[in-house]
Amino acid sequence: MDNYRPAVGTPVEQLDTPCLLVDMDALDNNYAVVAETYRDTVCKMRQHTKNIKSPRLANMQIQAGGTLNGVCTAKLSEAEVMVEGGIIDVLIPNQIVTRDKIARLAALNRRGDVKVTVDNADNIETLSEVAVEQGVVIGVLVEVDTQMNRGGVRSPEHGVVLAKLAMSLPGVKFRGVMSHQSADGWPDADERMRLSKEIIGICIEVKDAIESEGIPVEMVSSGETFSYAAAAQIPGVTEVEGGSYALMSNIYGYLDEFQVSNKVLGTIVSTPGPNIGIGDFGMKALSTAAAANATIEGISGVTIEEVQDEHIVLRSDGTESFEVGQQFMLLPGYQDHMPNRWDQYIGVRKGVVEQVLDIPARGCHH
Amino acid sequence: MERPIFKPIGSPVGELDTPAVIVDLDILERTFSTVASFFKDRKAKLRPRVDLHGCPALAHMQLAVAGTVGGVSVATLGQAEAFSGSGINDFSVRGLVVTPQKIARLCALARHATVTVAVDNPANVADLSKAAAAARVQVKVVVAISTKPDRLGVEPGQPAVDLAKSVGDSAGLAFDGFMTIEEKLEVDDVSQLAAESRGWTQRAVDAREAAEAAGVSVTTVSVGGTYNYEVAGATDGVTEVPAGSYALMDSKYRGRRDGLEPAAKILTTVTSFPEGDKIITDGGNKAVGMDRGNPVSDEFPEAKIGLSAEHGNIGLETPTQRRINLGDKMWFTPWDMGVTANLYDYMNAVRSGRLEAVWDLPARGRYR
Repeated sequence: MDNYRPAVGTPVEQLDTPCLLVDMDALDNNYAVVAETYRDTVCKMRQHTKNIKSPRLANMQIQAGGTLNGVCTAKLSEAEVMVEGGIIDVLIPNQIVTRDKIARLAALNRRGDVKVTVDNADNIETLSEVAVEQGVVIGVLVEVDTQMNRGGVRSPEHGVVLAKLAMSLPGVKFRGVMSHQSADGWPDADERMRLSKEIIGICIEVKDAIESEGIPVEMVSSGETFSYAAAAQIPGVTEVEGGSYALMSNIYGYLDEFQVSNKVLGTIVSTPGPNIGIGDFGMKALSTAAAANATIEGISGVTIEEVQDEHIVLRSDGTESFEVGQQFMLLPGYQDHMPNRWDQYIGVRKGVVEQVLDIPARGCHH
Repeated sequence: MERPIFKPIGSPVGELDTPAVIVDLDILERTFSTVASFFKDRKAKLRPRVDLHGCPALAHMQLAVAGTVGGVSVATLGQAEAFSGSGINDFSVRGLVVTPQKIARLCALARHATVTVAVDNPANVADLSKAAAAARVQVKVVVAISTKPDRLGVEPGQPAVDLAKSVGDSAGLAFDGFMTIEEKLEVDDVSQLAAESRGWTQRAVDAREAAEAAGVSVTTVSVGGTYNYEVAGATDGVTEVPAGSYALMDSKYRGRRDGLEPAAKILTTVTSFPEGDKIITDGGNKAVGMDRGNPVSDEFPEAKIGLSAEHGNIGLETPTQRRINLGDKMWFTPWDMGVTANLYDYMNAVRSGRLEAVWDLPARGRYR
């Protein structure tokens, strides 16, 4: 792992590269948009921390407002990091199935309220057994497959069966329903709203079916960055699992209220041709998703010609020539995989380092 | 930082917390013997490229085998620093060291270790020389030879000779030879790639001949990798091959390199089985990696593997007849193990199905 901790006040031009910058003004803007959107709504933001991997960044949104003081994590070990970071209301919208992991989940529930999603009766029974052994109660939500075609129940009937089972067993508490979807690729806001309502409606159907059996549904956790505005207006949705909006990605530029706040700072190390500059990081530091649709800031007229494993080949249209030692910034096409490859964010405001933020949930695959 | 549940040494591999990198020591030792038998009696030796795993324990095993130069190849200065803390003391750094911050770090490292860096620019030579002389250290320098136009390095003729001479005339620097920096290799056809690489190898050898004709003595010519080590290692004038993928292997090279089998795989767990033709696991893109290509499933080698960020998705043509339970283990061979190893902090070394050691990967994430 890296441990790069430049002094507060260091100008960006003096940073050792490559490093992962967070533009704190842009991040503040993104958090303010969410705080304002959910200020007076029943539905609140439950920030998905898989995109940020940092309880510090999550706590900033909680302080800014618009949240229910809780977060999502993709994995159990990420949930541990968030609980250790002072965030005790955690939803893991994922299945935890092995006994040793469930024991770890149960133990974490002594310190936090860490809920998981289920799509399988055997899994609910195992959760119940382990929770009873440890003397804790684990909250469960039924996961509904609305679009992603992976985990989740495929029908309201199956959802009802699982909710009833959870209600009947000790050690588990049925809390509600959850779905994940992606209303990506719909730049038009009206169309995005329509599509979001349609897809999230599949999850609402399962909620309605469970309620019609007399089982209260406390949580309906659905929606993501694309549908964050729509979900707040869909009756029944209690929380939205937005993740991308915090650090943002070029490909969601149509959500222009948010700004790209995470950028990789690099240095030109070689200028082998008249309009060619070789930068000091490559695919390993980025991921394919971040490299595709990435753009360059800091040197005018530059496009990315090739992303190698350890270097990036930049081409200039001649507006500005490359110099060895010159810095540039890369804005990611899609950022989710990128912070998982770094150990620190260098938080920068107005061109100087404001704070160094660790990324403790990096590598938390477990 | 990765946070697995650690299991006792001796645990059966199927009980390890997932997703996890598993290294089969029996396969690794066979691989080492294959590669050693090629290099041990040749002029060219192996310089293991250890940034593809970031693991000092593994690097020491690679260096303990016959046929190496006794040092390693890394991509960044930060990786060299990490390995230096674990007893490795001879580095060839492929990334160019150009900024004042990095040059200062290089000089500090050169107090503890033999460090070779590549250059392709006279101003950089001057900067390195000034800093090395002031720090009273000696830095070994190779001139980078480009593989094609507009890529890192210089042309093998007069530009290479001129740069070599300027290194030789610089205080604090010792001219050592030439190196090609080969990246983003398309390996659909390894034999074609190996054939193409003869051209790159020849450029480095040409640079050597031109330098020697100009009276500059050349110690090192470093070219090639796992994809062509037999070609590069058998070429007159080549002294070392910085190969790395050979050790752990991956599906990129599986079946394409004689005598080399994947020693490393990713162990995952079935977390959902929603339909007969779809198996969901806990190893997604962030844990298995697919920067340059898809992983291959051991259990369902023909299956279409989809990796979303957090989930693996084994898509079958027809519903499987095999009984699948939640908690079942699924093995994947990543397309490029260098990408995958960079996602982890530990590797689990296993022999005959039981955990023998857990290795740290301190050089992971060292891009600086």
